[in-house]
Amino acid sequence: MNCNLCKHELNAYREGRLPEGIRAQVKAHLESCEDCMAVYNLETIADKVFNHEKVIQPNPFLSTRIMAKIETMEQHANSRESIPFYSRVVKPALISVSVIAAVYTGVVVGNVYQPASQTENIPVELTYFNDAALESVDLLSDN
Amino acid sequence: MTDEEIIKQILQGNRDAYRFLVEKHQSMIFRTCMGFLHDKDETEDLTQEVFIQAFQSLQKFKGSSSFSTWLYRIAVNASLNKIRKAKKSSLFQRLGFFHGNDQMKTFDIPIPENEIPENAFLLDEQKQMVQSALNSLPENQRTAIVLSKYDDLSQKEIAFIMNTSEGAVEALIQRAKANLREKLLSLSKKSIK
Repeated sequence: MNCNLCKHELNAYREGRLPEGIRAQVKAHLESCEDCMAVYNLETIADKVFNHEKVIQPNPFLSTRIMAKIETMEQHANSRESIPFYSRVVKPALISVSVIAAVYTGVVVGNVYQPASQTENIPVELTYFNDAALESVDLLSDN
Repeated sequence: MTDEEIIKQILQGNRDAYRFLVEKHQSMIFRTCMGFLHDKDETEDLTQEVFIQAFQSLQKFKGSSSFSTWLYRIAVNASLNKIRKAKKSSLFQRLGFFHGNDQMKTFDIPIPENEIPENAFLLDEQKQMVQSALNSLPENQRTAIVLSKYDDLSQKEIAFIMNTSEGAVEALIQRAKANLREKLLSLSKKSIK
C-alpha cells in the first residue's frame, strides 16, 4: 500500500468501516510510515476536538432569554406606535425650529454689535476716557 | 404537533408557541454556530440572533423546505456574516495590539472537570490548532464540513441547505478534508519548531 491510498482510507480506518484485509494493510503501512502516522494522529485529534465541541450544551435558560428578547422588542415596537402624532412628530419639530431660531437670532445680534474700538469717531462723552488724549505724565514731572 | 402547525399558530397571533420551536431546535443551531465560532458565549448570542431573525421573518417562510433547513440557512449565513465582520475589525485589533492597548482574543471552551491539568493544556493547544485550521478554510468548504462534522447531516441534507447538488457537497467535503489535513500538518510542524 502506498501513502496516497493509505491517506484515502484513513477516515474509514478510524471509523472501523474497512474490510479486514485492507484494514491490516493500512495498519501495517501506518506502522512503517511516519508521515502517514502523523496525518492519522492529527486527524484523530481533529475528530476529538470536533466531538468535544459538539457535546457543549447551551445555557438551559437560552429559550427563556430568546422569548424575553422577542417580547421586549414587540413591546418596544408597540409603544412606539402608541405614541401620539403630536409627541412623535410635532413636538420634536417645534423644538428643532426653536433651536434654529435661537441660533439665528444670536448670529444676527452678534453681527449688529460693534465694539467701541472699531468705531471711527469717538463720542464726546467718551473722550474723557480716551487715554491717547491725556497729557503725558512725563511732562508733569520735575525731571 | 409539527413545526408547520406551530408556525401556523404563531402567525395567527399565538406568539408563545414559538417557544416550542426554540426549545426543539436550539441545540442543533447552537452546535452549528459553535462549529463556526468555537466560543460558548458568542455562540449563545448568535443562536439568540438566529431565532429572533427567524421569528421576524416567519411570514416569509413558505414551507418549500422544512423549517429546520430554513433555520440552518439562517444560522450559516449569520455565522458567516459574523466571521466577516470580525475579519474586518481584526485589522484595527492588530493595530491596537502593536500599540500595546489590546489583548489577543483567546478561545474559551470549558475543559471537563475530570481532566488532569497536563491533558487539559494539551487539549487546549490541540483545540486552537484544529480551530485555526478550520477557520482557514474557504466559506463553502467550511460550511460543508461544519454541517457534516458538528451536525452529522447527510450529504443530501447539506446539499439542500447549501442549495447545491450532492455531488458538489461530496467534492466540497473532500477538498475541505484535504485542506484541513495540509493546514494541520503545517501548523503542527510550526508548533514543533
